[in-house]
Amino acid sequence: MTYDPGTTRIAVEGLSVRYDLQRERVISVREYAIRRLRGERFPTQTMWPIRDVSFTVQAGETFGIVGRNGAGKSTLLKVIAGIVPPTLGRVQVRGQLSPLLELGAGFDTELTGRENVQLYGTLLGLRRKHLRERVDAIADFAELSPFIDVPLKNYSSGMVARLAFAIATDADPDILIVDEVLSVGDAPFQRKCEERLARFRARGVTVLLVTHSLTLLKETCTRALLLDPDAPIVIGSAADIAERYAARTGG
Amino acid sequence: MSSPTLTAGVYDRTPPVWRGPGALGRYFDLLHTLVTRAIKQRYKRSVLGFAWTMLNPLITMVILTVVFSRVFGGLVPNYPLFVIIGLLAWNLFSLGSTQGLASIVDSGSLIRKVAVPKEMFPLAAVGANLVNFLLSLVPLLFVLVFMRVGITWAVLWVPYGVLLIGLFTLGVALALGTMNVFFRDVRYFYEAGLLAWFYGTPIFYPIEVLSERARAVLQWNPLYVLVEVFRTPIYAGVAPPTGTIVTATVEAIAMVTVGWLIFRRYHTRFVDFI
Repeated sequence: MTYDPGTTRIAVEGLSVRYDLQRERVISVREYAIRRLRGERFPTQTMWPIRDVSFTVQAGETFGIVGRNGAGKSTLLKVIAGIVPPTLGRVQVRGQLSPLLELGAGFDTELTGRENVQLYGTLLGLRRKHLRERVDAIADFAELSPFIDVPLKNYSSGMVARLAFAIATDADPDILIVDEVLSVGDAPFQRKCEERLARFRARGVTVLLVTHSLTLLKETCTRALLLDPDAPIVIGSAADIAERYAARTGG
Repeated sequence: MSSPTLTAGVYDRTPPVWRGPGALGRYFDLLHTLVTRAIKQRYKRSVLGFAWTMLNPLITMVILTVVFSRVFGGLVPNYPLFVIIGLLAWNLFSLGSTQGLASIVDSGSLIRKVAVPKEMFPLAAVGANLVNFLLSLVPLLFVLVFMRVGITWAVLWVPYGVLLIGLFTLGVALALGTMNVFFRDVRYFYEAGLLAWFYGTPIFYPIEVLSERARAVLQWNPLYVLVEVFRTPIYAGVAPPTGTIVTATVEAIAMVTVGWLIFRRYHTRFVDFI
């Protein structure tokens, strides 16, 4: 894989996402039939967490996304990761994408660490053969080598998070999606995570970073996007976006 | 945009990892992992383990034989063999479809958090039951030997029958699994209906005991011919009638197509409802 700096890794065009939330969550056939017969409606609450967002991210860029809680940051990442479908607009992703979102979703606590490497890895789209070869290296990075054949239910939450991070970053991706997961494990392990991410960036991996830390934003990102439910989105240099965000949140 | 890419695409449905070159291998690897996990889960908790899969149909067969061999035994030679073949086919269908139906809702937290092809869950449930089914062929062999019933070349039809039952089961699981996301009681309706379906399928009785009218109704039970494609080559040692094979093939393909279409139509809305 060559890292041609001219390659567009992520192109989002006119993206809008609508959520249809049922007011009464789960409905049964019986209830549905009764209400239909009575001529009642089924109210759904419509939300647009993302409205008309467009941006592109080039290969090798570290692109920041900031915004207050509820501004749609997580939804945007989920659309790019392919978890939530776009309602309007297009999303184009070029290259192998590794989402560091909801780390460890998909782990089975009854299974051992080794079996979970297989399970979580294949859920992320990694090959079984590759995972078998890499499991020792993954365990080593997560500092879990002595416990890799122990069921996950006996792990501490820090151990689980470390294992998840180690698997998700083992894929040699072209694009990394990072949702404030840098707070994994204790301080030394956090440093290891940051080192690994820095090494990815140095190799030209594109990083999409959601953060509330303006220091981190200014230190690592080239450009950034400010999401605000009450205003059009703004794209600019990291320093510029950090300043605007600080002004809007009164910080 | 001319540089080489591993995966690429505009997507509104399938995330990029699961499309393009290499996706098939990833798909298969995930399926393999999920099927293995389901099988491990089933056997980890029971003391008898694999033995249970083999004992279960034998026990049911003995019970049904004790109860019904007086009634149907005259019409059906080797009644226990007749029963166990039908039971194995029925179990494959009923377990595969109920577990496949539930699998989408049961995997809800994963579907909301990981970009995973959602059809994988019903597929894995049916796949795990297929593996289980293969294990339960051991007690069938045991009964064949015990009753001194030989095997003929017609047995080559058996894999085809199993394939058709598997496809039909998958179709039911996809269709009802999709509905179950929106109406959670579909599962309970189905489980209740399944009992009626069992009695409405000639598993433990021969179709000859039914009246003309009942037989005419039974023709609309798709499972009847599907079971026959599996049963005839073993039980009677002859190939199933061409008409039966054609009907079964059409039914299995129609069901899996309908199930797939229903699933594709609604699966992007799952995240909102799960």
